[in-house]
Amino acid sequence: MNIFPENVSTYGQGIDQLFWLILVFAGTAFFISLFILLYPLYKNHHSRVKRASYITGEKKSQFFLVAVAMCILALSDFIILFAEHDTWETIESLPKVKDVEYIVIGRQWNWAFTYPGPDGKLGTSDDVVIDAPDSELHVPLNKNAFFHLKAKDVVHSFFVINTRLKQDCVPGRTITRWINFTKQGKYDISCAEICGVGHTRMRNFIVVESQEKYNHYIDSLYKQHSAVAGN
Amino acid sequence: MSNTVHSQSFLRKYIFSTDHKTIGAQYTITGLVMAALGGFLAYVFRYNLAFPGDAIPLFGELTASQYNTFITCHGMIMVFWVGMPILVAGLGNFLIPIMIGTDDMAFPKLNMMSYWIFLFSAIVLVISFFVPGGAFGGGWTLYPPLSANGYLNPNPSFFKALFYGNSLMIISVALEFTSLLMGGINFIVTTINRRAPGMTPWRIPLAVWMINIATVIFMFSVGPLIAGAFMLLFDIVLGSGFFDPSRGGDPILFQHLFWFFGHPEVYVLLLPALGVLGEIFPVFARKPLFAYKIIVYLTIVAAILSVVVWAHHQFIAGIDPRMATFFSVATILISIPFSGIFLAFMATLWGGKIRIELPMIWALGFIGLFLVGGFTGLFLGSNAFDIYAHDTYFIVAHFHYTLFPSIFFGFFAAFYYWFPKFTGKELNKTLGYIHFWGTFIFFNFVFFPLFFNGLGGQHRRIFNYGMFDSINIEPYITFEKIATISAICLISIQIVFIFNFIMSWMSGKKAARNPWQANTLEWLAGSPPPHGNFDNIPTVYRGPYEYSAPETDADYLPQNVQP
Amino acid sequence: MENQRSLSVPILRVPQGRMAMWMLIAGELMIFGGLIACYVLYRLRFPEWADQAVHTNTLIGAINTIVLLTSSFTVVKAHEAANKLDIGKVTLWLSASIGGGLLFLVFKSIEYSTEIGHGFTFASPTLQTSGDTIGSLFWSFYFFLTGLHGLHVIVGMIIMFLALLNARKGQKLYRVELAGMYWHMVDLIWIFLFPLLYIAK
Ligand code: HEA
Ligand code: HEA
Ligand code: CUA
Ligand SMILES: [Cu+2]
Repeated sequence: MNIFPENVSTYGQGIDQLFWLILVFAGTAFFISLFILLYPLYKNHHSRVKRASYITGEKKSQFFLVAVAMCILALSDFIILFAEHDTWETIESLPKVKDVEYIVIGRQWNWAFTYPGPDGKLGTSDDVVIDAPDSELHVPLNKNAFFHLKAKDVVHSFFVINTRLKQDCVPGRTITRWINFTKQGKYDISCAEICGVGHTRMRNFIVVESQEKYNHYIDSLYKQHSAVAGN
Repeated sequence: MSNTVHSQSFLRKYIFSTDHKTIGAQYTITGLVMAALGGFLAYVFRYNLAFPGDAIPLFGELTASQYNTFITCHGMIMVFWVGMPILVAGLGNFLIPIMIGTDDMAFPKLNMMSYWIFLFSAIVLVISFFVPGGAFGGGWTLYPPLSANGYLNPNPSFFKALFYGNSLMIISVALEFTSLLMGGINFIVTTINRRAPGMTPWRIPLAVWMINIATVIFMFSVGPLIAGAFMLLFDIVLGSGFFDPSRGGDPILFQHLFWFFGHPEVYVLLLPALGVLGEIFPVFARKPLFAYKIIVYLTIVAAILSVVVWAHHQFIAGIDPRMATFFSVATILISIPFSGIFLAFMATLWGGKIRIELPMIWALGFIGLFLVGGFTGLFLGSNAFDIYAHDTYFIVAHFHYTLFPSIFFGFFAAFYYWFPKFTGKELNKTLGYIHFWGTFIFFNFVFFPLFFNGLGGQHRRIFNYGMFDSINIEPYITFEKIATISAICLISIQIVFIFNFIMSWMSGKKAARNPWQANTLEWLAGSPPPHGNFDNIPTVYRGPYEYSAPETDADYLPQNVQP
Repeated sequence: MENQRSLSVPILRVPQGRMAMWMLIAGELMIFGGLIACYVLYRLRFPEWADQAVHTNTLIGAINTIVLLTSSFTVVKAHEAANKLDIGKVTLWLSASIGGGLLFLVFKSIEYSTEIGHGFTFASPTLQTSGDTIGSLFWSFYFFLTGLHGLHVIVGMIIMFLALLNARKGQKLYRVELAGMYWHMVDLIWIFLFPLLYIAK
């Protein structure tokens, strides 16, 4: 079933699987609970029962079953926590290898992208900044791309639906997250934290392409940039 | 005593009354009027989501900034001006004194004052719609810097800034907190000090326990947010920089202050409704509440846990990932006490002699719906999944599946159960059933599809998905339409309720003193109970849930009957 | 009505006024607690604040601490006198406490006016224009904390004054105790603020 949009990151699968795992536990518990709730309505309907039994539930033997159910739930809680922890670690911590990096700045109401300049370093004067509506961030395929997320004015949230990654961008901080794309294409970057009137139209793109095409794009970008700077 | 009742003027009796029942009714009716406003706002923005760009019947064109304003005020109103007055202040006022067997609150004048401050806060909120720039539109969570300065001009003069939507919103919330703090002190003192002779702690009905535990969590968690609200207000009107990152302030600090209160707050809204269930289930199953004491203990455990889970709203807000893991564990663990509570409620039904009446069916509907909300909470509590689900419609659906049952199903269960007591009239059953099934079915049709919209990646607080080709697709578009049409039906069906309410009150059949044959003390008083409630303060001999007890042949044994 | 009230027996033998006052105090402490926690968190983050804290007047702060402690003592005396139904003494000691509050406010306003005179205000525009915006945040906290506390001093004085009016007529002597409890809270909060704002430099 395709209840999730297509996944294009290395770790996105983990999140989708986590959903199904929790659904198994929660779904089972849900139907068991529903049965416990509804069955007595039939079995103990007043037309079938002469007198209710006087059970206070305070005795240990009476509460036993509930306690068992609570323990089962606790157990499944721990299984869930155990299963999700790896995914969380993978997404929230950075891999050792950094292939490419970018600065992404959220502002009212656009995402601005900074590519490292020809020196390959961010934060130097030859950086290329692109801040235009509908602009695209180009990223190579199958590479660990690091995103240094910042915000200029208010809180925004960097959300690339198809990779399952979401991270708030907070003014005054730089938060680094990474994505390794597994499929070429053009994907939405949306903003998931309300940031004012333009929140609804804060959308840019990530373009994932092969290393060759990517190099080509970066070259043309540098040329364009130096041409502009030269003038 | 009767002299005092008759000599009261209309004003003293209905408007500036110190009688707990009148004040309870004032809270409830104010809450319902605000619910109508909150529901209308929901109608307007839901209509826009399904039919973007169309002129909305009864409203007209909606702009993006109005959309933001409307969802913000919808959330604020529903939580603070519907949930709090109806469930906490309203039920607390109606039930606490009469259920513990006393004539009124410990401080009746303080009680009256808290209502008037509450009403004033509601008026301030409504006024904020009409100031230049409109009401605040940055989400009910009030995150700075957006709420501090980001959305209007940055350096306003003091008085101008004081009357901005965001300032007024903060002021009205602060006033509301003040009123509820006063009310809360009243509730707790009344419960501790004014119980009828023999009303020992373990003879107090669950509803009273729950309302008091809710009040304690509220009073414990709200302090830091009051401080935070003033810091935010000063940022707006005085130009300080408490949350302004360019001046060293930290926006995330406000998020912590908000959610340190905000999460306990959702349990404040849940617990009174659970208390109502605790009254209704035993009565209609003719069986003692299963594990009454354990329920109370579990609730206290949950209440304590509730103040250490707040950062699950901020998993991806930029907090330390290890801290997030701690909060994830705490969040998931909180499902355990709740599972005990809910299973105990369900166990009450087993072996009972069940009558399905209106209050009972609302109570059952409550549990059925809350299960969906509670279990989706488990998904969100796992921080890895929350990376994806955060701020999508999955969350919107989660919290409507928790809030709507507790606020509306809880309230309606209480309403159909205690209406005969507090008005002395019976309700029309057929209309009651229409109201129930309408609400139940349409509610599911509104919010169940939205889970899928959320999983599909639709993020919250979006005026128009037109820009997002990847999520503005089928079946989500159809789901939006289903949700909207059902929401319209859901709101319309409430007319049945209003009609039933008014008609039964004016010309319903006279109700008996104890129509459900229940044990608790309120059924001992007249219907409606006079000022002062009881002819004589009753003496209590046993717990509230002695149904089908072996001592008697009758299947109930009121608390005040001498053994 | 009245005889009904006497029928319902309090189960805990704590007068309800005292209980309500405890809860009010607990609520107030949560407000101040939240605020102080925020201050401490920022303080740990910004060692630079020490440069600003130098400008607070430790001497006046210390004197004010003594003033408040003394007035707390006199309020205890007033309570003792109220227990002995000694109206004259109650009036005396309560007035002394109110005087203490007044003295506190006088010192505080001297302090405020020198600070404001040096350009340290709630939002400190001079600091901000000189680029020390983080320093200006210290003063925001300083004025918010002490201002809110000062407000509580005023409220405490009003409460004591009302208790005094009642006590002089020999009525509602229990109010002396309640006023005293509130005043102790005001004192307690100051005991926290003094080291945090004046001593830590
Ligand atoms: C009444 C309101 C209410 C209640 C009760 C809850 C209950 C819970 N909520 Fe929810 N929540 C909200 C209202 C509520 N919530 C709101 C308003 C928001 C969003 C605010 C915003 O951002 O605007 C929110 C958001 C929210 C988030 C943040 C999502 C995000 O923004 O990223 C999370 C994350 O952990 C969460 C988790 C939970 C959990 C774990 C519970 C648990 O307490 C649920 C526990 C209950 C159960 C688990 C069911 C009972 C169990 C049984 C019956 C067991 C039976 C067992 C067997 C048979 C074995 N909630
Ligand atoms: C108690 C809480 C509560 C309740 C009951 C509701 C009820 C509804 N909510 Fe709301 N909602 C929130 C709390 C609540 N909501 C919150 C906190 C948010 C987040 C805001 C934010 O993002 O900042 C939100 C956001 C929210 C959104 C997301 C907006 C967005 O992110 O873009 C949507 C969208 O569908 C929505 C829809 C609805 C609908 C259709 C209803 C319907 O169920 C409404 C039905 C209406 C009624 C049941 C009222 C009927 C009237 C009466 C019963 C009284 C009549 C009496 C008299 C006139 C005397 N709500
Ligand atoms: Cu940027 Cu929403
Ligand atoms: Cu929460």
